[in-house]
Amino acid sequence: MMTSPKPSSGPVPASAGIGLRFPHHRAVAETAPAIAWLEVHTENYVGGGPSVSTLEAIRRDYPISCHGVGLSLGSAEGIEKRHLARIGDVIERFEPGLVSEHLSWSVSGGTYLADLLPLPMTEEALDIVCRNVETVQDRLKRRILVENPSSYLRYRHSTIPEAEFIAAVAGRTGCGILCDVNNIYVSAHNHGWDARAYLAALPAEAVGEIHLAGHSARRLENGRTILIDDHGSRVIPEVWALYEAALQRFGPVPSLIEWDTNVPALDVLLDEAAGAAARLTAFGKENGNADAA
Amino acid sequence: MPTLLEIERAVRAALLDPGNDDALRHIVADGIAPENRLAIYRNTYVSGAVKALELNFPAVRNLVGNEFFEGAARIYIDANPPESACLDDYGAGFPDFLADFPPAQSLAYLGDVARLEWMVSRVLHAADTPSLDVARLSAVPPEDHGRIRFAPSPSAGLIRADCPADEIWRAVLDGDDDAMAAVDPGAGPIWLLVRRGTMGIDVARLDEADARFLLLLIDGTPLDDALAMAGDIDGPAVLARFLTGGVFAGFDLQKEQGASR
Repeated sequence: MMTSPKPSSGPVPASAGIGLRFPHHRAVAETAPAIAWLEVHTENYVGGGPSVSTLEAIRRDYPISCHGVGLSLGSAEGIEKRHLARIGDVIERFEPGLVSEHLSWSVSGGTYLADLLPLPMTEEALDIVCRNVETVQDRLKRRILVENPSSYLRYRHSTIPEAEFIAAVAGRTGCGILCDVNNIYVSAHNHGWDARAYLAALPAEAVGEIHLAGHSARRLENGRTILIDDHGSRVIPEVWALYEAALQRFGPVPSLIEWDTNVPALDVLLDEAAGAAARLTAFGKENGNADAA
Repeated sequence: MPTLLEIERAVRAALLDPGNDDALRHIVADGIAPENRLAIYRNTYVSGAVKALELNFPAVRNLVGNEFFEGAARIYIDANPPESACLDDYGAGFPDFLADFPPAQSLAYLGDVARLEWMVSRVLHAADTPSLDVARLSAVPPEDHGRIRFAPSPSAGLIRADCPADEIWRAVLDGDDDAMAAVDPGAGPIWLLVRRGTMGIDVARLDEADARFLLLLIDGTPLDDALAMAGDIDGPAVLARFLTGGVFAGFDLQKEQGASR
């Protein structure tokens, strides 16, 4: 990596970034918006072609984070070697400042189930996730961040609270944590958890990034609502409040706005990111550091 | 207590077949039936796979309409779930599925347009590989020319279509109704060379003889054998067009000894 002729995209700063999606490639490449860093879905840059070339150009101007959706860290069958190799090629090519994946599974019996499926919170699953995280970190030769998922079901035989589970993964493998405060809000609503207690149970020193996004509410026939993490709207005030609590707990860390369905104009994303940047700045001032954000 | 492997197999079964109830007994209801909880995941999974097919087959979707496309896609997905987390790779069997799909029989050209779109997608996302080194090729002594075997570039591909799939594809993606009305679906078969260039995807027609010659070269047939089998073509002229066209990634020389198969 040291001999790469390409300028490195550099470390991701403790500032506000946005998820870069295909509809905004051109606008970002041509208008160079004022944003501290960008995150992409790793799987979208496997192979070659125009989107890969565009990202090669963009990374000269912005720190990049690669966020994976398909490594399936929770697969009992282990990490698929072929997919890991393809992800390794992307990481080698773009030299991102951060690499992350999810505490979930999506591959079973050779089928990719195109969603972040929930794990039973058991000692057996913890061992498997740790083994898989180690496999990934060994292959990529770097630390990854593991993100807490949104979930819509729990298993009867789960014994470990999710925050403790993810803390144990970080403790045992040395990986970091990507704390998605919207996911905490969504899962807390869906399962009756206490979102603040969840934050309190995460080891602050392991948190390397925060995600922010919108979600939707689905009303069921029995009057219950279930929150769906669809990344299709603005961050709601309650999630902003949880973000402020997360900053108090973890200190300033790279903070990302994700928007994946009904992707709006780039300006809307930048406006959301400004909301995160303002809170990072406010946090910095309160803590005597005018340079934050 | 079920193992993680058992849980994942059960949930996989429920996502692939909503009638399968293996996973239900492991899930906490808490006011919402376990099957409804699983349905949220199945919905995300299926819509993600439908979206992947929409991205790979935009002209097909336009030709048949959103509703028909989604209906066909769901049937295809249930029978052929994705095998890779890189969803750009998803849909290899969709063209053949559409060609045999009974409700689409009135659109005889649908399979061909889908095959063209699949090739376009393959070429678009193929790994970046260096093009054939023409200087190295010209250094091959003339007496060895016959033994040259070309390696195809992943960012180029050749397909045959029974109908003018290229005209239909362009007309649909350009929203050009006049061009679409002017298409003669019976004006085939045709051969199409799909390549990725600096300006994007290029789809060019080849005549039958040139295409069959190119197909031999793509398959690794040594040049002399390919020329002999190709019949009545201007070999050097055709070859010159392909050599600079990004069709090949490299070449080697067939060994002189034991060359016969």
